[in-house]
Amino acid sequence: MKGFVAAFFYSVLNLVLVLLVAPLFDGITRKVTAVVQSRKGPPITQSYIDLMKLLIKEDIEVGDSPVMQRFSALLSLAAILSVALLIPMGASAPLAGYADSILLIYLLTLAGTSVLLAGLAAGSPYSLIGMSREMMAMMTLEPLIAIAIIMAATHAASLRLDAVFGGAGYPGTHTPWSGILILGVIAFALQAFVGRMPFDVTEAETEIMEGPLMEYSGPKLALFKYARMAKMFVYTALFIALFVPRISTGFYLTDLLVFLAEQAVLMLVVTLIAATHARYRIDQVVRYYIILFILALLALLLAVLGS
Amino acid sequence: MGSRDILNKIRESYGASITRADIPADNRLLLFINRDSVKPLAGYLFRDLDARYCAGIGMDDRPYSGDFLVSHDFAFDRENVLASLIVPVPASDPKIPSISEVVPAASWSEREMRDLVGIMVEGCPNPKRLVLPDGWPEGNHPLRKDVPWNYVPEDFDDRKTYPFDDPPPGTTVVPFGPFHPTLDEPAHFRLYVEGEFVRGCEYRGFMVHRGIEKLADSVMTYNEIPMLAERICGICGCVHAVTYAQAVEQAAAVKPTPRSEFIRTLMLEIERLHSHALWVGLAAHILGFDTLFMQSFRIREPIMWLAEKITGNRKTYALCLIGGVRWDITPDLRAEIRRVLDRIEKEWKGVFDAVKGDRNIMARSKGIGLTDKQLVKDFSLLGPIARAAGVDIDARRDHPYAAYDKVEFNVVTQEGGDVWARIVVRVLEVFESIRIIRQCLEKMPEGPILAEPAAELPAGRIGTSSVEAPRGEAHHFVVTGEENRPRRWRVRAPTYQNLQAIPAMIKDQRLADMTISLGSIDPCFSCTDRMEIVDIRTGEMRVWSREELQAGTTTITRRRS
Repeated sequence: MKGFVAAFFYSVLNLVLVLLVAPLFDGITRKVTAVVQSRKGPPITQSYIDLMKLLIKEDIEVGDSPVMQRFSALLSLAAILSVALLIPMGASAPLAGYADSILLIYLLTLAGTSVLLAGLAAGSPYSLIGMSREMMAMMTLEPLIAIAIIMAATHAASLRLDAVFGGAGYPGTHTPWSGILILGVIAFALQAFVGRMPFDVTEAETEIMEGPLMEYSGPKLALFKYARMAKMFVYTALFIALFVPRISTGFYLTDLLVFLAEQAVLMLVVTLIAATHARYRIDQVVRYYIILFILALLALLLAVLGS
Repeated sequence: MGSRDILNKIRESYGASITRADIPADNRLLLFINRDSVKPLAGYLFRDLDARYCAGIGMDDRPYSGDFLVSHDFAFDRENVLASLIVPVPASDPKIPSISEVVPAASWSEREMRDLVGIMVEGCPNPKRLVLPDGWPEGNHPLRKDVPWNYVPEDFDDRKTYPFDDPPPGTTVVPFGPFHPTLDEPAHFRLYVEGEFVRGCEYRGFMVHRGIEKLADSVMTYNEIPMLAERICGICGCVHAVTYAQAVEQAAAVKPTPRSEFIRTLMLEIERLHSHALWVGLAAHILGFDTLFMQSFRIREPIMWLAEKITGNRKTYALCLIGGVRWDITPDLRAEIRRVLDRIEKEWKGVFDAVKGDRNIMARSKGIGLTDKQLVKDFSLLGPIARAAGVDIDARRDHPYAAYDKVEFNVVTQEGGDVWARIVVRVLEVFESIRIIRQCLEKMPEGPILAEPAAELPAGRIGTSSVEAPRGEAHHFVVTGEENRPRRWRVRAPTYQNLQAIPAMIKDQRLADMTISLGSIDPCFSCTDRMEIVDIRTGEMRVWSREELQAGTTTITRRRS
């Protein structure tokens, strides 16, 4: 019973954390981008304001299947929030006792699937192109994070989440070749997981006008945007959980601050890369993912062989 | 070789076709020919003498000579000669053979003269409408002299749509425009897409044609038209004002003052500076590289302030008059211009250094939007598009006007013919423009900026002029007329030629490359937007009036002082 209360308490904490802090981080990245571009930039609170504005707008139903559209918007945020319950943020993963790595991989894929659904439901040619791009990207990109999680599980010899996280990306005993390799792969892929330049091919405003999202406005768009911000938060958290050994001071608040600081560093790197690159074309993107995929497989092989 | 030598050469083979030849200047040639020989003669000029096609002009000359007139303008870039093949077309039988088969670059011009003047072009490969809206009734040609400028046909059919071709089998139609984030002006490309690849396209544009030429030859006067000409393009308006003024000056033998020629040169280069900086920014934005976009615009801003200091306006300088200019360069301005140039030069070097080795930009622009010398020749492609394909043409050097024969500069060329080469050409041309402006400041003579106005300009004279706009040569054709206005003024902006090659440039490319391929010609469709508000509940529609738009812009841009 006590375990259940703690799980519930930390679940709520994680959700509140993602929902409250993700827009703030988004605001900071916008400000940093602005500075790089010699602009003043919007106030740091702008992302909250944007979300609120969209949320109070009229919900316009367009396209082939409005129900599916509503569902995909909800799913996009719901999936990423579910992932947030399985990842340690300051404290250990809230629902670690109720789920395992396999479920985590499923939920991560579900978040990508919601974009496919969104594009399909909107049904405009540009949405469909965006959808097919997302599909191509998913098939080569999603396995990377799955491999990273499976590798950590191999090292920990367990699928339990609390065993997989906390820097289990590296094997415990000797030179962590496989761990270093997969760390490199995921570091190079992080930009793509969060859909930032040069990998924002699925939305590519100047090519396909936001692709799957072009038909969405108002509250539904708010949900997609919220999901995008949350994705940044959750994927950086996942990266830290997998590769950064946990320093526990025993106090939740200090742990949380350390965690947020680590996240901020990661996001800063992502933002700076995004601000200094042009968008790659979908074929170039897929080629890049495939190279990472092959390296990831190599890392998995090493891990299985025990190094 | 001057116009006389070219005339002699043409006479050798086609002497019998020429009914009259005028040489108004050493670099102009007016050939009046009979109708049947237009196709072989055009082919001879275009293929054998390697002339470049400039523009086709249709004109209703019935009130004066009783005939329609068609002129096909050609440029001899190595010989510095602009030649016009002028064909009288009897009013009773307004037909002319098409030359598009031998001169593909003439395709749009021929369709335009059919639409607007009603001269039937026989054997035109594409018989569809180009300029007139779909609902415009047949047999109604607005540029004819008996049609008033504000004529609205009663039987205009709003529901009529453009008859697009069927898409090739196995492809889906992806509409591109008239509203697209990288296409700020209305034009429609119907793309035939197979997976991610564009297999073909059909173009429909001219959606907000403003009837500027009609307005000029029926309402405005000689010295008002430069203001109108400037509004042809929001980016290179000064170019059109200068081209128009030069065409009239050439027709009426008015000589602009030496100082005004330097001021024109200087303002044209200031315009090129801001245009190139703008384009580099937009190209970066299309590629998703917003940091370069923002930096480019930041560097550009002082140029806009400079223009405002000189002319009172960031754009649309209201610079040109027949015989000179309105604004002088004062000693204060001279120092200010030098200061700004130094700063821009330094900052632009930074841009060049950042761009020249950027593998990321190369990955998106090399081998994209390909043109080769053949395509450049066939469609008479212009400006940076031609120069990036290794075709060394530049009206500033080939057909010197204003003070360009008194300054030194290099014509930047690249091989490759792709988007990357166009980026390099434009980035490097900025330095040449800075060089030209500095020389103008040094060499500018003292004196009046406007020639004494002539009592009246003689009527019925033909003048042509070519000016190198940032995006390629702008060509104007003027026939002077009565009542202080021209009888006919034809504008051929550089996009008119360059856009015709887009279907060839994007064929079998990825859809993702469509925007940058189109963007790389720096298209300018109309520079016009209007705002319509539709109430979806009542279906009521309202267009914003000029007063409302003006009030809106002043509220937005009012300076904080």
